[in-house]
Amino acid sequence: MRRAPSVILIVAAVVALGLVPVLAPPFYANLLVPFYGYAIALLGFNLLFGYGGLLSFGHAMFLGLGAYGAAVIAGVWGIKEFEIVLIGAALAGLVVALPLGWLVVRYTGIFFGMLTLAFGMLTHSVLFKFYHLTGGDSGMRVPRMRLLGLEFAAYNKIELMAGPFYYYCLALMLIAAFLMWRIVHSPFGLHLRSLRDNAQKALYLGVRVHQFRLAAFVISAIYGAIGGAILGFRTGLADPELVYWTHSGHLVFMTVLGGFSSFLGPIIGALALTLLQDQLQSYTQYWRFVLGAILALVVIFLPRGLAGLAADVGSFLSSPRRRPGPVQLPEHSQPGVLGPGLRRDDVA
Amino acid sequence: MSAFGNILLGGIFHAAVLFLVAAGLQLVFGVQKIVNLACGSFYALGAYFGITFVTLALKAGMPQWTLLPLLLVAGAVMAVVGPPIERILRTVYDRDESFQLLLTFAMVLMFQDIIRFLWGANPTSLDNVQLVYGKIVAGDFIVPVYNLLVIAAAIGAAALIGLFLQRTNYGRLLRATAENRTMAEALGVNVRGIYAAVFTLGTLLGTVGGALVVPTAAASLDMAVEVVIEAFAVVVIGGLGSMAGALAGSLLVGLIRAGSLVFYPEFEILAIYLIVIGVLLLKPSGLFGKPAA
Amino acid sequence: MKLSRRTVLKSIAATGAAATSPGVFAPAIAQAKPCRLGILAPRTGIAASPGISGLRATEWAVERFNAGGGIAGRKIELVIEEETSPKDTIERFQKLVQQDKVDCVLGIISTGVALALGPVVEESRALTIFWDGTTQDGVEEKLPNARYLFKSTDNECEAVMSSLLAIKHWKGQFKRIAGINPDYSYGRNNMAAFIALLKRFNIEHEVVTEQWPKVGTMELTSNVAALKAAKPDLIFSSLLFADLPVFMKQAAAAELTKGIKLVFPAAGFQHTLMKKDFTPEGMLFGHNTLYFDNPNATPMAKEFVAWYADKQKDYPNWEADRAYFALASYKAAVEAAAKAKGSAWPSNDDVIDAMVGLSVESLGGKGSWRKDHIADQTFVQGFSTHNNKYDFVTLDPARIETMYSADLQKPAGANFWEWLKTAQFKI
Repeated sequence: MRRAPSVILIVAAVVALGLVPVLAPPFYANLLVPFYGYAIALLGFNLLFGYGGLLSFGHAMFLGLGAYGAAVIAGVWGIKEFEIVLIGAALAGLVVALPLGWLVVRYTGIFFGMLTLAFGMLTHSVLFKFYHLTGGDSGMRVPRMRLLGLEFAAYNKIELMAGPFYYYCLALMLIAAFLMWRIVHSPFGLHLRSLRDNAQKALYLGVRVHQFRLAAFVISAIYGAIGGAILGFRTGLADPELVYWTHSGHLVFMTVLGGFSSFLGPIIGALALTLLQDQLQSYTQYWRFVLGAILALVVIFLPRGLAGLAADVGSFLSSPRRRPGPVQLPEHSQPGVLGPGLRRDDVA
Repeated sequence: MSAFGNILLGGIFHAAVLFLVAAGLQLVFGVQKIVNLACGSFYALGAYFGITFVTLALKAGMPQWTLLPLLLVAGAVMAVVGPPIERILRTVYDRDESFQLLLTFAMVLMFQDIIRFLWGANPTSLDNVQLVYGKIVAGDFIVPVYNLLVIAAAIGAAALIGLFLQRTNYGRLLRATAENRTMAEALGVNVRGIYAAVFTLGTLLGTVGGALVVPTAAASLDMAVEVVIEAFAVVVIGGLGSMAGALAGSLLVGLIRAGSLVFYPEFEILAIYLIVIGVLLLKPSGLFGKPAA
Repeated sequence: MKLSRRTVLKSIAATGAAATSPGVFAPAIAQAKPCRLGILAPRTGIAASPGISGLRATEWAVERFNAGGGIAGRKIELVIEEETSPKDTIERFQKLVQQDKVDCVLGIISTGVALALGPVVEESRALTIFWDGTTQDGVEEKLPNARYLFKSTDNECEAVMSSLLAIKHWKGQFKRIAGINPDYSYGRNNMAAFIALLKRFNIEHEVVTEQWPKVGTMELTSNVAALKAAKPDLIFSSLLFADLPVFMKQAAAAELTKGIKLVFPAAGFQHTLMKKDFTPEGMLFGHNTLYFDNPNATPMAKEFVAWYADKQKDYPNWEADRAYFALASYKAAVEAAAKAKGSAWPSNDDVIDAMVGLSVESLGGKGSWRKDHIADQTFVQGFSTHNNKYDFVTLDPARIETMYSADLQKPAGANFWEWLKTAQFKI
């Protein structure tokens, strides 16, 4: 995190992503649209988890909020401007996350995880039960929307997804990433990390623990809702599956796969899991097992995820003498040193 | 009045099964500080294996009345998955809780497919053996004896765990480890052994719970992820890590569910979550949990 | 269960090679590249059981068609993908269409997925035939003029049929009705349709309780107790997943089902789990579009059931018929269009035009395609009996009722609930 990721590499990656609709078969551009949704959501999620040390196991509820928000704004109210939907989704995230966050940020560690899980499942059953309002299991339709006021009438939805919307999402992700970069490198981000590493000490130093955590929670919710709106537009449907607890688990999976101790880790994880799942599903009907096994291996052997692996490989190549061990933990995950805030005894 | 009795017993029966799963969750959390998402998978494993085991045993000529012991044995046999999983978890004991939680989530994903591979995607059930012990009929009040036996088994399990933790030496070591692992280790407690034992016991509670519920239900692939959520509700209401909490929590969840079905069925699942949130607001550590703050 | 994609491809290749009687088109296009069909079916979760049944029927049909020369001389090759959440299923669908370049996509069971996939099908201009997943909220929807999409019969057909049969046979014998239905749109609509039809026929009734267990709930003793407390004369239930046998078992143990009328339009979903020990005789029992033990079945259907029982050690449920119907419709439409145009392989548009109005003898009886691309199929229901060679209940052969869905589903463009109020039903 401290070391700015190589600018050249990032530019190369963005260019490569930008070329996907041009060079790769249209299927891949379509496949990557949800990746952008997840990448944005996970940028926010990782502010909470990687930087704030708070593991939410109900974060999918915010994606659901964004998708249902899009369904209501564009479908029910008929406002088919995607920008307004994004703002609406962000506002919905804000409005829901404020009281919820106020309630849950008083806890850390496993208590925080269980609480968010409980709220996520409450949301799920509300979406399921009030089916006159929410469509129950069949969910709510998300209609096609205009982008920047443009209809793109010449494109059908698949072409829209693989062309204009693809670039729209890429731009959105870059903006979201830039903002997040500013956030985590601001005094706020520093405070947040200090809370994660030692809440007690930070409290003594005058850091307003709850307020900072609440702010992180709200920001992550807004990012989640924006990601959810993208998923909703892509799928054309907001459905309760989006909010089910296993979907929250997948968000955590992506983050850990990519590496939560790195700024770009969640984005890498979202990309890796999207491509991996696509390949695995074609290869075997037991892809869940393989995914589970991969997750277990990553957790055990690659605690810093793919981003950490890449960094190790990079530093190994540049200076063989300073080669790190194969399973070097991030500083804050080593035994004895505080983990990302998940210890019981640092509950303030 | 008899209707009330039926509903009450329905709720208690549900609570009994929930208690077993939640107790496994609590035990593992209490000692190892690991929230085991895979507890539901153990439950499903116990259910599927229970069906296979009982079907084979009955075919082999075991008398019908051995149903309950057979199921207990099936549950106990399936607890063999406990030690290897504990061995895998051991690699992350020193990491923070998110890694442990995720590793158990990986288990959930894997078990889903393992069960599908072994038993197929169709739900399966035991043929009607629920009534081998007969039923008690008093007017409109009807309850299969088997349901009462399950309730008794859950109470028995609760009592045994309580006695074990409070009265035996090993139980004291266990509580000491739960209280302060480093100190226990420094005093020569074999923490590694205790962890393995605790996790296996937690697994056992889950698999036995799954096996016991089988005569009255069916085994299906989604039972694993479904029961986790209810067990979590129990645990949050009762307080993380508390056995008394598991007991009170499961009773509360079982009875509320039964009650809301009669008075306002739409309320069923919501009622449980609302209680969860109510408890969190009023007594965040749960009814019996140690205060978190 | 062993139906992995690879084994299917392998077995199909094998039967293809062994085929001795090539069809009429074979000589001309002997070297034709195979006709690729994409299948989307659930393999896990609550809908796995019908998904597997449909996959097996597809496997059987492909073997059979390939042995007869394939479709218009082209051998069939399957690409199987899993139906999961709406979002992921759209991705799988696009993979089938854009990467695997399949000629037609068949499958889909869940209404939620069907709803999300409908517009994608239209925009992809990929001929797609749904097996199932047409619950009312989905039907009344926003795709009135589907061109590339062919949808299954309304999911509510079976509830309409059961309601009509209950009125026909039990009118005047019940007043207090109770419901226990799965808590999703299908269950809600079925119960509402039953009540609407009771009103339509001026049947005096009182709804004493409506239970909505969450799909997949395995612990229903409390629901049973609540139903018992309400003292109903009749229980209407469209439970259909693993919770159905569980409910029957727990209801039998509590003597809830003794001496009251039972209307279970979707019981056939779990037919082999409805053991005699706890499933009473005389209940109204729906088998949707395929009753495996139907004495009036065609030789082909009997052959299929025999193959299924022998190979899978199981008996097929209706999804097998839906899957066969979809595949056979596609084959018939392609061959009809090819014949009409005199071409070796017709264009997609010609196939679509040939589908409309087409009639096919499916496993469960006749089926055809309406102008609005919705299927009409034959529904079978009846009264349960213990008098059979199985350990589960079947239908009393003397009391089997068959209805064509033209009498059970709303006409094109109509609103389901309005239609229920005004339609002329044949009782």
